[in-house]
Amino acid sequence: MNRPPNGTTGSGDMEAQLIRRACDGDGRAVRALYDRHAPRVFAVVRRIAGDDDLAQDYAQEAWIRAIRALPTFRGDARFSTWLHRIAVNSALQSVRKAKTRRMREVSVPDEIAVAPRMGDALLKRKLEESMDLLPDGMRKVLILHDVEGYTHEEIGAALGVTAGTSKSQLFKARAKMRRMLRGFEPSPKEVEAWSV
Amino acid sequence: MERLKLEDLARLVDEQPTPQEQAVLDGDPALRRELESLKGQARALRNLPAILPPPGGWHELEQELVTTGLIRGHVPGAGIWRKWMQIAAAFVLFIGGTAFGWVTAAAPGFDGNVPEQASASPDASTSATPISLDEARTAVEEAEREWRRALRQHQELFHAVNGQQQRRDPVARLAGLEALVAAGEVAVQESPDDEFINVLYVNALMERQQALNQISLEAWH
Repeated sequence: MNRPPNGTTGSGDMEAQLIRRACDGDGRAVRALYDRHAPRVFAVVRRIAGDDDLAQDYAQEAWIRAIRALPTFRGDARFSTWLHRIAVNSALQSVRKAKTRRMREVSVPDEIAVAPRMGDALLKRKLEESMDLLPDGMRKVLILHDVEGYTHEEIGAALGVTAGTSKSQLFKARAKMRRMLRGFEPSPKEVEAWSV
Repeated sequence: MERLKLEDLARLVDEQPTPQEQAVLDGDPALRRELESLKGQARALRNLPAILPPPGGWHELEQELVTTGLIRGHVPGAGIWRKWMQIAAAFVLFIGGTAFGWVTAAAPGFDGNVPEQASASPDASTSATPISLDEARTAVEEAEREWRRALRQHQELFHAVNGQQQRRDPVARLAGLEALVAAGEVAVQESPDDEFINVLYVNALMERQQALNQISLEAWH
């Protein structure tokens, strides 16, 4: 570790110390970093994996990569951002290796049965469930763009596709999600296309 | 005749419509509503909460990290058991003390000679059942302060009785607090209006900050 991460806050300084200790193999420091960042890492990995069991394996793999790469963290970005990138790349690579999810693409329901006037928590759950049902490529682009805030150029680089492909997959994914979540709102009119 | 499909609307979530598309939108309220729904969906996705990893995730990872030599191994659970025993002892002592206090205070002939600190607790005799939410909240806060004070006294006594005090590892404590904060974050996102969860979360944040300060000071010295 050459210098501490960005940020002059006490919390940032503390994190830099934890990182230094983690680099030295201090398990407790690694544990502290894990406890601090595990929910966000697990969230992105879980969404990319689209499956709880796979997510656990992918998350572990992501953490091992991150801890291994810890000495290369130079503090140019926030640690959470750096870690998040590693988690995303690791999960994408794991998905690519597994290739098991391709089978999912054949059976995507047009709509998930939902009752009207549902609470916020239920909406979030439905969003997660709907994302799991998206075809692999669409899901990854939707997660990276709409959930994680990546640009199409960044997504293209991560997935090995053009920015244009990323855009087109995103629009299809949004539309598919919308169809699956139809019924959530007070005016659940199905409007597939409109005449101009 | 042109058609504006759902995929086209999905594009308009973050791109400007062409003049022709805008004209179509202007003339069709249902279409505008659908676009708003898509925008709402994108906002909801952006605000999805973090997800707590399944329990036991750390232990599996720890084993793997030890195996690969990325962290030093340690005796699993060594210290944790002792900490739990201390917490359990404090809890039992507190409950026992409270029960004893109630019994003796209620007993006929009890002369009320209690230490000054104990009698300084907030109007135990006068404040019966709280009649408002504010009073109830004040009572809870006061009880919490009393509990902390009792716990602190117990810890001091415990360490005095048991010889030299085991030095607490601030990093280990920080790890526990980080877990609390992470769980609190998720809980607050799920139930942002829940006062109990918010108070717990804020307390965990404050404790974490103190733990961080302690580590900072130790590193400085």
